Amino acid sequence: MTKPKITFDGQTFEFEPGDTIMRAAERAHIDQGIPRFCYHPGLPIAGTCRMCTVEVEKAPKLMTACSTPAADGMVVHTQSDKVRKSRAGVMEFLLVNHPLDCPVCDQAGECSLQNYNYEYGPGTSRFRDDKRIWSEATTKRLSDKLTLNMNRCVHCERCVRFTEDISKSNELLMENRGWKKELVSVADQKSFDEYQGNIADICPVGAITFNDFRFKKRVWFLKARKTLCDGCSKGCSIFADEEKHVVYRYRARRNDQVNGHWICDEGRVSYKTYMNPERVIQPLLKTGAEGVACSWQTVLSWSLAEARKAKRVLLLLGTDATSEEAATLMQILPSYWQAETQIRLWNGTGEGVQRSSDDAGLDKLLRRRDKTPNTKGLEMLGLKPFDPAQDQGFDLAIYYRSGRATLPAAPCASVEIGWGVFDRSEAQRFAAVWPGQGVLEKAGSYTNCDGLTQSFDAAVASHGGCAPVKKVLDALKVLSTSASASHEEVALGSV
Amino acid sequence: MTKKLLTRYNNTPGSHTLAFYQSVNGYQALEKALAMTPDAVIDEVKKSNLRGRGGAGFPTGMKWSFMPKAPVDAEGKPKPKFLVCNADEGEPGTFKDRLLMTQHPHQLVEGMIIAGHAIGATRGYIYIRGEFVHETRRVEAAIEEARAAGFLGAKVMGKEWSFDLCVYRGAGAYICGEETALLNSLEGKRGEPRLKPPFPAQVGAFGMPTCVNNVETFCSVPTIIAGGAEAFASLGTERSGGTRLFCVSGHIEKPGVYELPINITLPELIAHCGGVLGGRKLKAVIPGGASAPMLRADEIEVAMDFDSLAKAGTMAGSGGVIIIDETACIVEVAARLLKFYEHESCGQCSQCREGSHWLARMFDRIERGGGTEDDLNMIAEICSNMAGQTICAFADAVTGPALSTIRKFRSEFEEHVRLGRCPCKHEGHAYPHSQIHHASARL
Repeated sequence: MTKPKITFDGQTFEFEPGDTIMRAAERAHIDQGIPRFCYHPGLPIAGTCRMCTVEVEKAPKLMTACSTPAADGMVVHTQSDKVRKSRAGVMEFLLVNHPLDCPVCDQAGECSLQNYNYEYGPGTSRFRDDKRIWSEATTKRLSDKLTLNMNRCVHCERCVRFTEDISKSNELLMENRGWKKELVSVADQKSFDEYQGNIADICPVGAITFNDFRFKKRVWFLKARKTLCDGCSKGCSIFADEEKHVVYRYRARRNDQVNGHWICDEGRVSYKTYMNPERVIQPLLKTGAEGVACSWQTVLSWSLAEARKAKRVLLLLGTDATSEEAATLMQILPSYWQAETQIRLWNGTGEGVQRSSDDAGLDKLLRRRDKTPNTKGLEMLGLKPFDPAQDQGFDLAIYYRSGRATLPAAPCASVEIGWGVFDRSEAQRFAAVWPGQGVLEKAGSYTNCDGLTQSFDAAVASHGGCAPVKKVLDALKVLSTSASASHEEVALGSV
Repeated sequence: MTKKLLTRYNNTPGSHTLAFYQSVNGYQALEKALAMTPDAVIDEVKKSNLRGRGGAGFPTGMKWSFMPKAPVDAEGKPKPKFLVCNADEGEPGTFKDRLLMTQHPHQLVEGMIIAGHAIGATRGYIYIRGEFVHETRRVEAAIEEARAAGFLGAKVMGKEWSFDLCVYRGAGAYICGEETALLNSLEGKRGEPRLKPPFPAQVGAFGMPTCVNNVETFCSVPTIIAGGAEAFASLGTERSGGTRLFCVSGHIEKPGVYELPINITLPELIAHCGGVLGGRKLKAVIPGGASAPMLRADEIEVAMDFDSLAKAGTMAGSGGVIIIDETACIVEVAARLLKFYEHESCGQCSQCREGSHWLARMFDRIERGGGTEDDLNMIAEICSNMAGQTICAFADAVTGPALSTIRKFRSEFEEHVRLGRCPCKHEGHAYPHSQIHHASARL
């Protein structure tokens, strides 16, 4: 059976039956030529902004691309004079009451109104009367995480539809009618759900901004890096927006297999685990009560000596390690010393999750109990959870984790070495800390709660002395094979 | 004068009671209709050329025939069908449904039962605007009486068909007179028009196939069934049968609701109502409710049926005829009308929300003398960006008074611009309300 066809600006494309014109344009990857405010591929159709109108041959009026079903043989013009005039009209209407405060608006640079104004806008305003002003809502706390500036709103109601149909908290609604229509929150400035950050993401203008990012960075300085959120076992696709290897925010990246268009607020601010000023980024060796920064050479030599003294060594892998890291460590690390090495996994998040079978959804959308990204992946490598009651009698414990898994409450051995991402207070218990990489700084793959394995690339470079697993293993190898290894051979010292 | 069909028993004491209604052959049309097949009833209404009295003038029989015969849901289970009566009567200048509901509620109930039989509905809703408290009570009382008499409920007149009516009060928004906004409001949602398609005949109230008609339309149905379609059709024009209720208001000697032939001419109508108030000179007429473009005094030689008025560039709308005499300032009239539309736009579509606001502000400024020649030239352009571009016809309705006044009475606008004040008012006239642009302030 042949698929139905639609023609956009002289080019013919196939589409699936049931598609709207906009959906067909998305399939053809030409949807960016159709401007929109109220349309969002993850939300129900509203058809109210009237910005996405296109000219359909044989139709008496302009049609909205978002709501008009595509039909076989339809001929659509997305850039005809009539269409551009209509869009210019909508832009003029939307700008009538818009404050035009782009220089102080945090959305500037990623604002649909701004972008479309360059393309369709009138450039000057013919509106001579006073603008509509919401004096109380010029900058208003909408919730604990969001700030509302009603004057900038274009009334697309994406936010309202998001709480109606996606997060299902039904907390946002429009009050009043017509030009006085105002967005209000039923929760009265309190938290209303765990997905509020998406509302700031989908707001096409600067009306709703996310407090955590507000005024932190002008968006045109940021580069969007594709990566995964490691905040829970869902493994949502995200953009990490960075400048000069500092990440300022996470944004949802569309992935229909996992997270659709959304991420949760907890994950959204989880970049702070890695961009944490308290994070240990130099090797530490404990002398007395405090860990003291030292070179990799020193910490590794000391640690290797401890391992050679030990009879039984515990290697505890946090379920936030990538599958590659875990496999490498399991295969290589035990060969560096004579002692028997037991390898276990450790999770401990979400009130004692250890196995993937302990994991469950916290709501119907994305959030999971298991707050580590790779429990399934480590289980697939054959690892078992660490059981403090059974697994005992270790002289040395090496604890590898990259920032998400918890630490066992009681010490697992007389000497404990922490390897990976720790903040200063967590590092207190360790005799030595080997600073490792977080998800942002390394490449690898995670297997999420649904068994889907996803790979990712490094988004930013490592900070300070944080070193990749492979480099540390290489250095250990050099140290373990030649007792009199020279300083130059241990290349890690300069990392 | 002409034969009256709907308002024959106006001002008769007790005309709203079942006892009176039955004494004048009430509910006999229902009995006759129930003996007919639903399709036969629809055919009869089609033959009568009855056109919807709410404003659009869509043929009623045709609308009924669009209802699916045996709708099923996704699982193949049969879906109920609903009948909705639009008694929101929000169009400024219209007050006919109010009269029908206060004086002849049983006519409405009987009409709805016949319509319910024709489309196979199981339930009917009467959506009455919130301000109509007295009317609501009358209709509710009529429904009670009809139910007690067996015309409503589990077995309508002993037939194997159950049908009941339910009154729902709106909250007073003009837009809820638009049928899909009405359905949203009926469901408890914001009264905002829906995207079409799907049309209410496919997805209406609560997702079920729904037919929405005006009060006057339903009230005409018993007459059609009782007296025959031909008799009804013969009263009107070729394409529009029956009589029509005209609500005449403004500068007129005898304002009120008049049941007259649908093809009466406008001068005849004005003469029938006693002429222009105080014998003054006519300036303009709004022939079909506030949304209808104005007719100038020299354009009034026109019949009042749907097609003739459409040909004259305006519309018959809901039958609200507003007479404006020479003492009125057209700019002020237009500014007041636009203020109404600014207040009543639901605010979904960009053009309508911002455009109605912009036009209202501009007309107000022109009326106060702050307008410029540029403003006058811009009005047509703003209107062309609004009309026909939105979900419902509200934006078109806004452009009705705006465009017709600036086109037909441009000299008056220019006079305002030239003088810097309203020529109809003395210099230094104090306006009763100051303009507040804060959206959080009350209008």
